[in-house]
Amino acid sequence: MSFLNCFSSVMANNSSNCLELDHHEETISDSFICCVCLDLLYKPIVLECGHVSCFWCVHKSMDMVHESHCPICRNPYHYFPNICEMLHFLLLKMYPLAYKRRGKQILEEETARNCFSPQLDCEEDNSTDGSKPSQDANAMSDPASSSCITRVGENSSKMYSNGSDDIKEKDLSAINKEKVSSCDVLCPACKELLYRPAVLNCGHGSNSKASAKKSFITPFRGSEDFIPWWNEHGSKVHAGAGCDYCGMCPIVGNRYRCLDCVELMGFDLCGNCYNTRSKRPGRFNQQHTLDHKFELVKQPDNLQNLMVRLVGGHLIDSSGAPVLAISAIEDPPDGWIAVESVDDLVNPGNNVAAADESPGDMHDDTDTQDGSIEVEFVDALEVSEDNAASLSHLDHNIDQDGNKDPPF
Amino acid sequence: MMNTGSSSGGRTLWASTTSGSGKRIQKELKELDCPPLSSAGPIAYSINHWLATFLGSPGTPYEGGIFFLDILFPNEYPFKPPKVMFKTRIYHCNVDSSGNVYLDILKDGWSPALTISQVLLAVRSIFLTPDPYNALVPSIAHLYQVDRKRHDELAAEWTHRFAK
Repeated sequence: MSFLNCFSSVMANNSSNCLELDHHEETISDSFICCVCLDLLYKPIVLECGHVSCFWCVHKSMDMVHESHCPICRNPYHYFPNICEMLHFLLLKMYPLAYKRRGKQILEEETARNCFSPQLDCEEDNSTDGSKPSQDANAMSDPASSSCITRVGENSSKMYSNGSDDIKEKDLSAINKEKVSSCDVLCPACKELLYRPAVLNCGHGSNSKASAKKSFITPFRGSEDFIPWWNEHGSKVHAGAGCDYCGMCPIVGNRYRCLDCVELMGFDLCGNCYNTRSKRPGRFNQQHTLDHKFELVKQPDNLQNLMVRLVGGHLIDSSGAPVLAISAIEDPPDGWIAVESVDDLVNPGNNVAAADESPGDMHDDTDTQDGSIEVEFVDALEVSEDNAASLSHLDHNIDQDGNKDPPF
Repeated sequence: MMNTGSSSGGRTLWASTTSGSGKRIQKELKELDCPPLSSAGPIAYSINHWLATFLGSPGTPYEGGIFFLDILFPNEYPFKPPKVMFKTRIYHCNVDSSGNVYLDILKDGWSPALTISQVLLAVRSIFLTPDPYNALVPSIAHLYQVDRKRHDELAAEWTHRFAK
């Protein structure tokens, strides 16, 4: 439930700013800069508190073990929200060049990682998105049908005071087909211009009055009583796994994993959503269908076991390289020497087996029963790589560093 | 869904996040807004390794000193905080003898929306007002609270010895 500055600023500025917008050099308003990557928002997600970030920026900054916090206001949240499509298409219209450039960039990164964000048909907006521009065109060309504009004038004259300007602009802008109009920001419930818009967890925006307040089942308590909470629920937390339907992350309680989805991300449902059965594709563009089979994932390991393995940190494959890299350098950070021995104790021969595997194979391991936990190990692994990286940077050993990089 | 976004396996990830963090660091460099009496910038070889310089503010015992800080950006930056270390020895309750700085925003209080300009500002603020309640060196914190004059003398002496 949120009030969106972004939408408001569109509505306040759309008539004046659009004129200034040069289509060759798009100047992007600060309202549309993601606070995490400091670039134009791409596939924007609106958090419960109303702050907006890119899809991957939100996902990467989520805490996979406990509740996550908004990067800006630290408001806690537990559900990974869906992309706000209205804002997505609005941005595409406002900054077509910059937005498509961002899309291309992100797609390259996603291809490199082999996991994708949901596809919203933004690439073929001219063809598939036909309904919206035509609606738009009607509103522009035909003054009689531009009822939305007059209504806008009545509704929020303060926001949209220069209505006459707007109409002139529209006469001029026969060339400028991609112009943002109030039709792009209509409330789906009351069909009027969004006023103090709120975005629901499903990514749909509406006027705050019109939208019924949806309350989530919150499996978490405040962070201050984390320890009692963890004692009670810790054994049910599937660290690193989120529900692809409601977005609960991490899943607390039963976790069902799809056996037939081949994507890297996997497809998981929480207990509640499993019982209602999802009909949507996954949040990471998994091609999940109803005839896929699920398995109930064994309860995650208990806390003690988890900690031992986190400290061990290298149950996942490919650990050989970073461990060797660190032990080769003097004075590694605390814990990392011990790590090697603990690791060997926990899983002897792991390093040997791991070293033979190519990076692409490593996710085979998520097929084992411990899939949910191993994701956490990768985090630990990253830390170790990070250490290796920074240490080698310190040595200015660039060549060696370069050799450790995979050939992408 | 699984958290493969930030952990799609060690190797693959390294390649992708390096570029991601690099891009963001470059953006920050372009829009860097250093607090007064300080400067920061990357050292040759790597954009992930910066050096910051602080001049001791007039009116504090650190006046006249020049303090160097190392800033190391992890590959997961901005999802992990940068590491900030004092390279110049300083008599300060929030900085230990190996140069580690106690700052909440560099530990649990980190948020990906924070930028290096804000980190520099936070460092600047502990220069001006040490925080004895979150001290790394309890003895200095104690002296700061009990005998401020003696603390300032010692700090000025250290500044003279190490930072000039």
